[in-house]
Amino acid sequence: MRRYPRWPIHLALILTSFVMLVPFYWVFKTSISGENIFNYPPSIIPRNPNLFYYVDVWYAIPFARYFLNSVIVTVLTIAANIVLNAMAGYALTRGFRGKTFILMLFLSCMMVPFQATIIPAYLITAKLGLLDSYLGLALPQFSTIICIFVFKASFDAIPASLIDAAKVDGLSEWRIIWTIMMPLAKSAMATNVILSFIWSWNNFLWPLIMTRSPEMQTLPLGLSRFLSYQEDTTGALYAFCIMVLAPGILLFLLAQKEFIQGLTSGATKG
Amino acid sequence: MVSLASEVEPDRRAPFVARKSTRQAVLIWCFLAPSLLIFLLYRILPLVWNVVLSFEAWSPLKPAIFIGLENYEEMLDDDVFWQALWNTLYVVASAPVGIAIALGLALLVDTDIRGRNIYRTLIFLSYPLMTVAVAIIWRWMFDERVGLFNYVARSLHLVDAPIPFLNSFTWALPSVIAANIWQMLGFYMIILLTGLQNIPGNLYEAAEIDGANAFRRFLRITLPLLRPSIFLCFVIGMLNSVTSFDLVYVMTGGGPGRATEILVTYIYKLGFVQTRFDYAGAVTVVFFVLLLVIAWAANRLSGGNAGAVERD
Repeated sequence: MRRYPRWPIHLALILTSFVMLVPFYWVFKTSISGENIFNYPPSIIPRNPNLFYYVDVWYAIPFARYFLNSVIVTVLTIAANIVLNAMAGYALTRGFRGKTFILMLFLSCMMVPFQATIIPAYLITAKLGLLDSYLGLALPQFSTIICIFVFKASFDAIPASLIDAAKVDGLSEWRIIWTIMMPLAKSAMATNVILSFIWSWNNFLWPLIMTRSPEMQTLPLGLSRFLSYQEDTTGALYAFCIMVLAPGILLFLLAQKEFIQGLTSGATKG
Repeated sequence: MVSLASEVEPDRRAPFVARKSTRQAVLIWCFLAPSLLIFLLYRILPLVWNVVLSFEAWSPLKPAIFIGLENYEEMLDDDVFWQALWNTLYVVASAPVGIAIALGLALLVDTDIRGRNIYRTLIFLSYPLMTVAVAIIWRWMFDERVGLFNYVARSLHLVDAPIPFLNSFTWALPSVIAANIWQMLGFYMIILLTGLQNIPGNLYEAAEIDGANAFRRFLRITLPLLRPSIFLCFVIGMLNSVTSFDLVYVMTGGGPGRATEILVTYIYKLGFVQTRFDYAGAVTVVFFVLLLVIAWAANRLSGGNAGAVERD
């Protein structure tokens, strides 16, 4: 490869990074601003920065409650996803009658976006008596086809001799999965955790449809409700926004390699 | 997904372990059952139910009545439906813009410049974040009074009066699309980057020896070999943007008027604001058929080679 000047590349990438980061900064700046947020011209650097809006959020809305709801629903989803997807993924590594049918069924289910099922999904959940409950919030995401295939690919890569050896030693199928295969499928598990975390934590449409009582609202719902009550007249909205985004950003920066790998393998395997 | 049929191996075990293999089959189906139940409840049954609803006059208290194609006939005269359909197509058509920008970025971060991992991280950062919060951020960026865009445009004297981006019939939909592209950009970039890294380097060396310049190498090697990744980006981008309910709902609520109404927000409003489950069901059926047609067309355009998107 010939040498080429580096600075135009850096320039283009710095500009792009700037475009990606400025919106965050603009909201953050507003959230710690000490003046009327509608002063024109808007200040680039916040004047007398303070945390009053964050205190406002804490008193104006049940942030802790929303957070707790989001955590409960997300933990339920992640736990169910790992168990159900691992089981289904393991089953698909075996030969059995009707496997082609099941594979075709899963692949065609993948074409159904959740948004196209909201009305019957609501009616079904109502019939099950699960409206406005944690289980009802999490149930539609209890198992995801992409993650089943991620587990299947990971189990397929485990040498058959290892499993045969375990069988000779008299381990049951159940024990083989949990003591031999799962530890070897760590990256599939990480993908599962990350994908189900994102889908459940960020989910908005489903909670919007099926929660009734204010104490069942999750973070995205709380955020949108706050916007509809207050419009965008107060900086507290932006403080709330930052408080909601912060855990996500932190988690992403801590485990960015797993995040990127998980999200792309989810996409390419699907 | 490739070679489905070949994955099904006949059970070659001898008959004397027949009892054991029945037990195995039972076990396999037990393992599949919970996932199957979830998909049955939340994918297959809803799809069928939607079709049934679309032929009915439904109300919460009375039993439903079969009315044939009346809901579909109503759709023909429903201006809001056509507006929502048109807006949805507009959103689909905008997906290639984001992919083109992302391709440029992928080529840049694929070079061996210093700090490329930092650039990748920063560009990817917005993708996994909560869309509702992203929508609020962009509302604020597009704000008429103190949004950054208006501030910059006014400081540079590009406009005389501030543009009410999200309250303008011309600007509202492009603004929502811009926010969507901003969030998806990093994701497209990573997919395309993976595709770029899978292209063998010696192809480029050979072409260089043959005297092909950088532009021709890009046109003749990079683009054709990247086609599966581009197709994958398009399908994911399309699915993501036509279903970006959160973004539209929070940024504009479908307004002003119906300027940013897309099919998913219209279905939501029909179902849960007007409680017209039957008509909403009919619109959903049309929406779903539309998705299938677009996916099929994209598949044809990419050379009918959707299976090639699977890579390890």
